[in-house]
Amino acid sequence: MAETGTIPARDRANGVVAGVAAGIARALGVDPTLVRLLFALLTLAAGAGIALYLAAALLMPEEPGVRTSRARRAVGLALLLLAAVAVLNGLGLPAFVQLAAAIAAAGVFFLWRRQQRLLGTLLVAAAGVLLLTRGGDLGAGGPLLTPAAFAGGLLLVVGPWLWRTVQERDAERTRRIRSEERAEVAARVHDSVLQTLALVQREADDPKRVAQLARRQERELRGWLYPEGQLFQEDTLVAAIGNAAAEVEELHGVRVEVASAGNAPLDNDGRAVVLAAREAMANAARFSGADEVSVYAEADAEAINVFVRDRGAGFDREAVPAERRGLAESIEGRMTRHGGTATIMSNPGEGTEVELTLPRKAS
Amino acid sequence: MSVRRVVIVDDHGLFRAGVRTELGDAVEIVGEAATVGEAIPLILETDPDVVLLDVHLPDGGGQAVIAGVALERPGVRFLALSVSDAAEDVIAVVRAGARGYVTKTISGEELTEAIDRVAEGDAVFSPRLAGFVLDAFGSGEPVRDAELDELTAREREVLRLIARGYRYKEIAASLHLSVKTVESHVSSVLRKLQLSSRHELTRWAAERRMI
Repeated sequence: MAETGTIPARDRANGVVAGVAAGIARALGVDPTLVRLLFALLTLAAGAGIALYLAAALLMPEEPGVRTSRARRAVGLALLLLAAVAVLNGLGLPAFVQLAAAIAAAGVFFLWRRQQRLLGTLLVAAAGVLLLTRGGDLGAGGPLLTPAAFAGGLLLVVGPWLWRTVQERDAERTRRIRSEERAEVAARVHDSVLQTLALVQREADDPKRVAQLARRQERELRGWLYPEGQLFQEDTLVAAIGNAAAEVEELHGVRVEVASAGNAPLDNDGRAVVLAAREAMANAARFSGADEVSVYAEADAEAINVFVRDRGAGFDREAVPAERRGLAESIEGRMTRHGGTATIMSNPGEGTEVELTLPRKAS
Repeated sequence: MSVRRVVIVDDHGLFRAGVRTELGDAVEIVGEAATVGEAIPLILETDPDVVLLDVHLPDGGGQAVIAGVALERPGVRFLALSVSDAAEDVIAVVRAGARGYVTKTISGEELTEAIDRVAEGDAVFSPRLAGFVLDAFGSGEPVRDAELDELTAREREVLRLIARGYRYKEIAASLHLSVKTVESHVSSVLRKLQLSSRHELTRWAAERRMI
């Protein structure tokens, strides 16, 4: 869009004579032929079109942003006036109407420039008074012409101001939306990132705790920035296993790497597998001494399999005290109750792998 | 064995510094780049053995780097490195020519091992990539080219063990194979992953607009 208040440049490349019509057409976004036609029609009004064209050729700069010289502008304005008089004459309007139009035009000019507003208002008012007092002389057309002239005059005076106001309001709205977004981001960053950084500073001596904080923060931020990439919707097996892994990571400060192939909707039995898998992860995190746990979940038409593996201390089944119910109850018992199995393979010094299998019912 | 010459391409300076520290003297870091635009001339100039390549870069993905140097420096091997969870991103970079994919949480020792493996022309699959591949080759879609569009039973077994977190040595022991055989199975899977025209792979890649 051309800047408001600047005169459009001529467009010599696309023009026929001096590029006036093409320049105006480009600024208005219309077909140049339309503008040329208008000039041709105005020529019928005592040659106003020609005067107008010459005026425009003088007033319009050759390149955007370049101001034309004072002399050219003066001649151009004089030609413009001549054209206006020619048009008014051509319409057959009496001299006092032409005088009123000239006075009103001068007033509008001052009001548009936002200088000498008082003088501008007085000039417009004077033109109005002139039209009102002599309106009767117009004969039959008078009662129609006077309100039309007032309406047109009002539009000319108020139009630019209205236009600016609308534009400022739009700009203001854009600014407000931006600042609201900024505030939301700032709040989010404050609530999570800055809090975490403060915690990291305080717990700088404990690398495990720092890594844990950083991981949780990363997960949270990622979930906020890329919500559609989130695995964690609690309606599939893989999503729920991912959630369980995240919980264990946070609670125990170990890395839990999750891989998967296939997926299954989460029913009651599926939830049991997830809970058993979480217990296995938590056991590995607490007792194995390894800093990483591998989890692999696969689902096909026949069965769901979940493997939880660590490369930690391993253990001897016989040596596990009976009061530690995790293995027997939360893993093996739970899987059996839901028609599945749990197999625990462990050797001291070599780590542990828990395999959970749940046959899928034909549905 | 000479020390591997490595270039790190990642848009996070902190991460590059971290990898540098983790790798220590095990490899020689010959350059670092943060963008596709920086990476391509750097790789052409330094001609490294291995490029550690972030899947996500601000001015195009890791595959843009591979595409930019593959013709002139066919000997340079790429190892994709990412925190990304998205299968399509990872598959796209591997199909563009990376010889493997590991997650950024990998330990320095494992990363050094992975660099060695890739430098020798073998493939490196993280558990997550193994899962993606099993998924992609797992559907009942009709197979056009059995040689390329299907995994053998052995390849499946190997991939499942990788997904479960087994190292090559542990896989070899578990399946009574040599480590060399395990490596050749993984390389064969990589070849199929890069060349297969299976629908899922093509779709994943097409979504990243790289075909």
